[in-house]
Amino acid sequence: MRILVINNDGGGFADYTEVPDGLTVQQLFQRQIPGGKPENYLIRVNRQPVPPSQVLQDGDRISLSPVKIEGA
Amino acid sequence: MRFSPYAWAKLLYLRDRGEAEIGGFGITGPQDPLLIEQFQLVRQHATPLTVGFDDSAVAEYFDEQVDRGLRPEQFARIWIHTHPGHSPLPSRTDEETFERVFGRCDWAVIFILARGSASYARLRFRSGPGAELLLATEVDFRASFASSDTTAWDAEYAANVLPLHLPEWELLADVQPPLSFDPYDEWLDPSVARPLSVSEFLFT
Repeated sequence: MRILVINNDGGGFADYTEVPDGLTVQQLFQRQIPGGKPENYLIRVNRQPVPPSQVLQDGDRISLSPVKIEGA
Repeated sequence: MRFSPYAWAKLLYLRDRGEAEIGGFGITGPQDPLLIEQFQLVRQHATPLTVGFDDSAVAEYFDEQVDRGLRPEQFARIWIHTHPGHSPLPSRTDEETFERVFGRCDWAVIFILARGSASYARLRFRSGPGAELLLATEVDFRASFASSDTTAWDAEYAANVLPLHLPEWELLADVQPPLSFDPYDEWLDPSVARPLSVSEFLFT
């Protein structure tokens, strides 16, 4: 199935990609950000926060954006 | 690193719009990753000493920029915020954020503009052995640029900069001066002949 992934890590990515059916949000995160800490990201599917166990659907839009951007 | 005149004017205007620190992202064109064409606020909680972005607002900002056809390296790599006083040097909080949030990016820039107009820009990239270097900053007048739009900037500020009142900050307002306190002694700036606000007194 085909999903849109938005991710700022590495070279940055905002494009459609093919993933296997039944892939969960947690599995996608591990594929996109190997070694990354989930607590450092807000993971949204179709602009809504989701649990890690949610199974992705064809056409979903997943964004992995940073959290706690703080300056002082 | 260069700012378009429009982006630079907007950043200065928003820095001076209130007493709080402000922050946002520099947005670049597709050709030059170090030419900032736009400065964009995201919803944030701010005090005169701190600024923290709303996580959902950052996610929404990412979605909006992708919908505009931009790539992450154009809108999410240059982190900009202001400092009170005259020092633009990064604080420990700034460094921790830069490492945690941008440390896995191929490259990123931290840019700080102090209220006293000094600035700090540092590029970090991970290619090869990786490196960091300080960048000079200038305003690039070579390309045509839009005129200022303070009405829109005011609206953007009002919608995104949410003042957060520190308990200590509020306590200062309740401090009663001693009986011998002379209001025209240290709380009065003779150059402008008016009482200073708390933040002016502490940080200028």
